[in-house]
Amino acid sequence: MRVGIEQRLDRPRWLVVAVPVGSVVAAFVLAAIVLAVTGHNPVSTYKQLFEAGFLQQGSLTQTLTVATPLAFTGLAAAAAFRMKLYNIGAEGQMYMGTIVGAGAGLYFGGRGGPSVFVIGAMVIGGCLGGAGWALIPGVLRAFFNASEILTSLLLNYVAGLLLTYLIFESESYWRQTTGFNATVFPTSKPLPGSAIWPKWVLGLQGGLTVPLGAFLAVLCAALLWVAYRRTRFGFEVQVAGDSERAARYAGVRLRRKVLAVMALSGAIAGAGGASYVGDFSHALDGDPNGLQKLGYGYTGIVVAALGRYNPVAVVVIAFLLGGLENAGNTLQGVDFPAGLVGVVQGIILFSVLGGELLTRYRLRVTWRQHAPKPAPAPEAAA
Amino acid sequence: MKRAKLSLVAAAPLTAMIASLLIGATPTPASAATPYKAAWIYVGPHNDGGWSQAQNDGRLYVQKALGSRVETTYKENIAVGTQFSQTVASLSAQGYKMIFATSYGYVTPQLAAQYPNIKFEQATGTLVAKNVSEYFGAAEDTIFLSGMAAGAASKTGKIGFVVAYPIPEVIRHTNAFTLGAQLTHPGATVRVVWTHSWYDPAAERKAAQSLYSAGVDVLGQNVDSPATGEFAESVGIPWVGYDSNSSNFGPKSWLTASVYNWGPYELTQIKDAIAGTWKSGFYYGSIKDGFTKLAPFGKRVSAKTRALILKYEQKIENGTYYEFTGPLYDQQGKLRVRKGVRMQVLQGGTNSLYGMNWFVKGVIGSPNG
Repeated sequence: MRVGIEQRLDRPRWLVVAVPVGSVVAAFVLAAIVLAVTGHNPVSTYKQLFEAGFLQQGSLTQTLTVATPLAFTGLAAAAAFRMKLYNIGAEGQMYMGTIVGAGAGLYFGGRGGPSVFVIGAMVIGGCLGGAGWALIPGVLRAFFNASEILTSLLLNYVAGLLLTYLIFESESYWRQTTGFNATVFPTSKPLPGSAIWPKWVLGLQGGLTVPLGAFLAVLCAALLWVAYRRTRFGFEVQVAGDSERAARYAGVRLRRKVLAVMALSGAIAGAGGASYVGDFSHALDGDPNGLQKLGYGYTGIVVAALGRYNPVAVVVIAFLLGGLENAGNTLQGVDFPAGLVGVVQGIILFSVLGGELLTRYRLRVTWRQHAPKPAPAPEAAA
Repeated sequence: MKRAKLSLVAAAPLTAMIASLLIGATPTPASAATPYKAAWIYVGPHNDGGWSQAQNDGRLYVQKALGSRVETTYKENIAVGTQFSQTVASLSAQGYKMIFATSYGYVTPQLAAQYPNIKFEQATGTLVAKNVSEYFGAAEDTIFLSGMAAGAASKTGKIGFVVAYPIPEVIRHTNAFTLGAQLTHPGATVRVVWTHSWYDPAAERKAAQSLYSAGVDVLGQNVDSPATGEFAESVGIPWVGYDSNSSNFGPKSWLTASVYNWGPYELTQIKDAIAGTWKSGFYYGSIKDGFTKLAPFGKRVSAKTRALILKYEQKIENGTYYEFTGPLYDQQGKLRVRKGVRMQVLQGGTNSLYGMNWFVKGVIGSPNG
């Protein structure tokens, strides 16, 4: 028997629904085995997982704090991957967004409630920071044909070191330098009142807090959808992604497209950085054990892939993954090691991504008619 | 175009499912169970062989002492910032009343104010508020003693020290280690390499490796994992650990380590909280009250050195000796602490234990990272 994989010529409608649902079911069955073997009741664990992620009092508020940055990084990845431009640098571009965004907040901010002007400056600053950082691999790709995968990835480490340097190893503008506490452990200057982004409290789960960034991410997704569906720019990007030669033949200026798409992708990640600062950390998070440990930029790639680069789907996936992440945090404890949480999360992601393969390819099983016999090799003779 | 529409179709049932769950959601009632609920939050894994493991031992000590009167749990690998806030939110929802935040940077004044009903106990910081206590202790004393073992074990007087962040805590520990090494090996130098993380075994191993390449013949550490020891064992040089007795990670290299005993303090705090007499404060433990001590010596520590270290341990305990007494000179040879002056924990700016931002003479490396 031989099992091969071959590309599907057409994708039936039912398959596109059946495969994700089937993968989720498969994931839960697989994870149930792992849970049962390690002595945990799968049903009650799943119940806990859902409760902690979405149902428990206050859980949605916490889910949104993870989902919001994930939506931005997911959109950033989706924007670039559409053109088969693999920007792995949303992580670093987000850091640069936090640096410039926090800088704008500190510089323009003052006392009082949230100010439209200051928040606007932070968003623009964040976008510029992210876009500027993304343009480095963009230029290297457009003019020197250097792989953006490597350059954008490596720049993440550079951005991370810069972030740490600003708070831990220099007396920078972002660092708190007055007061005794500031000498004991390096801390960042807190943002002034007018640079703190507003939140809306909905009457759900005893007060579901929705940060401004969540709305901004949805708006960003809508704009991206329009840009890629309804504009000439979007059309050209898709063509360039599908076939570079066809695009060139049609008169698309590829270098410009590479630069524009990298800048767009970086700007979205940078806006996520500004939102992280304005919505959640309220100061530049330079601790290597803080923002840098969370890896939103990398998880954003998974979000984009699961959402098939569709901006609207990306937002939904970010919300679901945010819940999974938040639930994992609640679940872990004395009886439930953090490693097992990671395994369960990993199985779910792996199955869903793996299932994706089946919508594009199919397994072909061929049975051999004859018993294996050393056959003459006609090719060898020729 | 077709692909996108179809994927939306796939996403629809998921969103519908979530929406239906939301509508049917009922708030979980706050736990009214009798045991007092306390949680510990760690920067690394609970079994990291160092800092977090010592913290977890403290938790187990409390659990054992109070039995069914307390319910304890822990959260490991928790990042500073939003992830910590998230963890506190979920612990609060589950009815936890006391949180041992075992690393500085976790609790901020804003967060503490947001949860007035939770008692925060934060290790190593200075932020004391109505519901925030800070606790730590004079590990520098035992680190000084472990430095004596390192100095005695070194042939060349060149010692390496793997360090986490360029902050006063780590700087004072490095200084204490150096002063100890110089006591048993006059003129000894201590070279540092920063890892910029409390727990990063890969970076710690790399740091140890680069120190070894730079010619050191003994290794010490002020980071959470025993990776330094594993490297020392692989090249056969002596090693001084930190936080926990992790001799099993490098049995042939092991000299000793300064270790923490968090349990007794934590037990007192929880007992006070149960009795309703808890008050926030600043605790600084010592050798005297058993907060910090030396781990058992390895085979490489000679009988003569052991006796000398024990002698100094006694002197520090009864107050007749203190390593941070002037004259103390910095790396440039400038006199920082005058003869006969003892450094204080909080008072004295950069000449206090909590404000120290300069290395003593003999440390090679920058205190700025």
